[in-house]
Amino acid sequence: MTKLSSNKARSKKLKGKGQKIEGRGQKIVFWVFLFSVFCFLPFVLSRCQPTPGVRIQKLPNRHYQLIVNGSFYIIKGVCYNPVAIGSNHEYDWWSDKSKPWIADGKLMKEMGVNTIRLYQAHEDPEEVKQVIRDFYNLYGIRTLMGDWLGFWEYPCPFYGDDKFQSKVKNNVIAMVNLYKDEPGILGWILGNENNYSCLGYVNAWSNEDIDKEPNPQKQKSMRAKIYYSFVNDLSKEIHKIDPLHPVGLGNGELVGLEFANEFCTDVDFVACIIYRGKTFGNLFKSLRMTFDKPVLLAEFGADCYDAYLKREDQDMQAFFLQSQWNQIYENLANNKIGEGNCIGGTSFEWTDEWWKHNSDNPASWSVHDTQNGWSNGSYYFDIRAQCNKNMDEEWFGIVALSEQLENGINKRLPRKAYYVIREFWKHPVLIKTRGKKI
Amino acid sequence: MKKLLVMLLALGLLVPAMAVAEDKAASPKEFVVFSDKNAKDNHYIPSGWMGDYGDIRMNDQSADNPHSGVTSIQFIYSAKKSQGQGWTGVYWQNPANNWGNKKGGFDLTGMTKLTFWARGAKGGEVIQKIMAGGIKGTYPDSVMVEMGPIELTNTWKQYTVNLVGKDLSYVNGAFGWTTTADLNPDGATFYLDDIKFEVDTQLKSEGVKQQAMPFYIYADRSSIANHFIPSGWMGDYGDIKYDGASKEDAYLGDTCIKIIYNGKAAQGARWAGIFWQNPANNWGNLDAGFDLSKTTKLTFWARGEKGGERIEEFKVGGIMGEFSDSDSATIGPVILNKEWTQYTIDLKGKDMSYIIGGFAWSTNIDNNPEGATFYLDEIKFE
Repeated sequence: MTKLSSNKARSKKLKGKGQKIEGRGQKIVFWVFLFSVFCFLPFVLSRCQPTPGVRIQKLPNRHYQLIVNGSFYIIKGVCYNPVAIGSNHEYDWWSDKSKPWIADGKLMKEMGVNTIRLYQAHEDPEEVKQVIRDFYNLYGIRTLMGDWLGFWEYPCPFYGDDKFQSKVKNNVIAMVNLYKDEPGILGWILGNENNYSCLGYVNAWSNEDIDKEPNPQKQKSMRAKIYYSFVNDLSKEIHKIDPLHPVGLGNGELVGLEFANEFCTDVDFVACIIYRGKTFGNLFKSLRMTFDKPVLLAEFGADCYDAYLKREDQDMQAFFLQSQWNQIYENLANNKIGEGNCIGGTSFEWTDEWWKHNSDNPASWSVHDTQNGWSNGSYYFDIRAQCNKNMDEEWFGIVALSEQLENGINKRLPRKAYYVIREFWKHPVLIKTRGKKI
Repeated sequence: MKKLLVMLLALGLLVPAMAVAEDKAASPKEFVVFSDKNAKDNHYIPSGWMGDYGDIRMNDQSADNPHSGVTSIQFIYSAKKSQGQGWTGVYWQNPANNWGNKKGGFDLTGMTKLTFWARGAKGGEVIQKIMAGGIKGTYPDSVMVEMGPIELTNTWKQYTVNLVGKDLSYVNGAFGWTTTADLNPDGATFYLDDIKFEVDTQLKSEGVKQQAMPFYIYADRSSIANHFIPSGWMGDYGDIKYDGASKEDAYLGDTCIKIIYNGKAAQGARWAGIFWQNPANNWGNLDAGFDLSKTTKLTFWARGEKGGERIEEFKVGGIMGEFSDSDSATIGPVILNKEWTQYTIDLKGKDMSYIIGGFAWSTNIDNNPEGATFYLDEIKFE
């Protein structure tokens, strides 16, 4: 018994010693653990948190994704220029006390819009910031901010002139510095259809060297080289001061992109303006061949006025828009069909603009004109209109304007396209558009 | 009672079976357009004369070696351009002269092909196109299929238009042919017989076949190899004169294309141009593109009358409509030389799987205030 007792006692003694040793070891482990946590916590936390900013990611399958704060982002957008009935393009909606963007943002959010495209910032930076903030803080809608790059300067944009370039550059850099820290900014779009000026289609420009060249094809190449190199310089400058937002090259159709491929490689994406009716045709595939960058459909859509039957036709507009969004989704990253190089779209446009038919005649700004301005056979329902002019610039809104005022602005009347696209975004079931007919 | 029940049951089974059998017997295997003069089973009338209708003489009871029966239809085409069109043709319609303005036609659902027999008086006569359906109007045909060109032999030969998968629910213009003075400069005499729709269960849908290269747009005035029609006149179309058979120093062969643009802005557009389309006047409203996927370039030869004429654009594809071209490519502006010069539109990497607008040019008054006269030849996809 005693033996046993003494053994027990020894055992207890040893146990007590062991406990002491164990306790000391645990303390060491604890302190080592605490030290490790202290040292590595910031690193771990940084790995867990999404990378701030907006960037383009190229996947191993050569597809492109837009990543916003670490998450995949599809641009579901509209071009936004809410000119009130009775006003023209000089209307300063930014300082409108009724804040049209508040009502618009609410409607947009209900539709599923996550991005607006603005063509140019307003002169007053505080008002611009307010708009960006209201869209983002109230509705989570981000802004793609654009700059015309002096495209509408009288008499023409002298891209071949150093002073002109310098002036445009200063404006662009100022814009980026002013708004780059706004959380609502998604990216920058440089120009719109400025490439057409290189061909002389619109706002043709030249310089002494170009004038000396007798071959018009070479003249075109010289202009394209100058223009795209200039945009490339701008892009590089923007990246220096704002590495957190991508820069897009606004471009009419795919015209001139073979030059961009040579001289404008520092842009992050191409923002194409495309009006090809129910499909974008071979656009996505063609881009792969000519200028392998992700593409934003920065302007597309359909008017809702049937110029042949001379009546509003919301079905027609909804048909085209649904088909176009369908193709955008087909060509997003990681889709089995499609090229995987599309990052979304900003359709033209949110509201009608009643001033467009005659911007110089104030009386016509209060009239919803139906004199169609141009012809496009891709919008074939009303191509039999007089002189085949079937496209009406005043009727492109997916939201109509009423002359009746509501909270100080023209009452918004969503058209059928608004609801059709809203449902498509909620349940994007792709329909086959590869064949000739849907 | 039992017997009665058995009989009723047997009748119940027999009657539907007989009905099915009757149905099968009633489904015709063919539907005749024309077999013989005054044949009871003729369903259509060759009443739709088009283009230079004054150039055609028809004998619908020619006893000269018919393919079957006692007569065939003889056409004599003089190519005199009586109406100044340069082309002509005839549609078989129901009722006669129905250009889609009244309800007529037949529901030919189930038929899978149109067949006919043809021969030329000498051999070598060229029919530009054979059409099944294609009449528009208030009551348009539900189908439009074309075949051709066909170079006839001097012996009877059967030709087939594949209609598998086509909507034949309303066919007024059952059969038609067209040809041109360019293809038959000395006129043509040819015979048609036994035109009919048929059921052929073995036949498969043709789809759009990839065209072999080279694929000519213009080789020579009368060339059977020519494709696309210079029908898409744009802008100041009144300023353009087109001669597809100019003999003024052709680059190759007998003829070339001569175009005179006078720069008078007849329609006030201050520019003009021509699109070569398939078929004529197709601005993307008809599903009729060629699959030219095998091409890597379009080449053509051009020269200016004086040298220095400026063409703003030469173009392939780019027609946009319900059926749009699958791609487009351009070169220009081009200042023409006085000597023939070959130009190339690079099509590598382009999607040429569906092309309605094979070739186009455009110019304007600003760069040609005095107008421009220029020549084109050997326009082809390679």
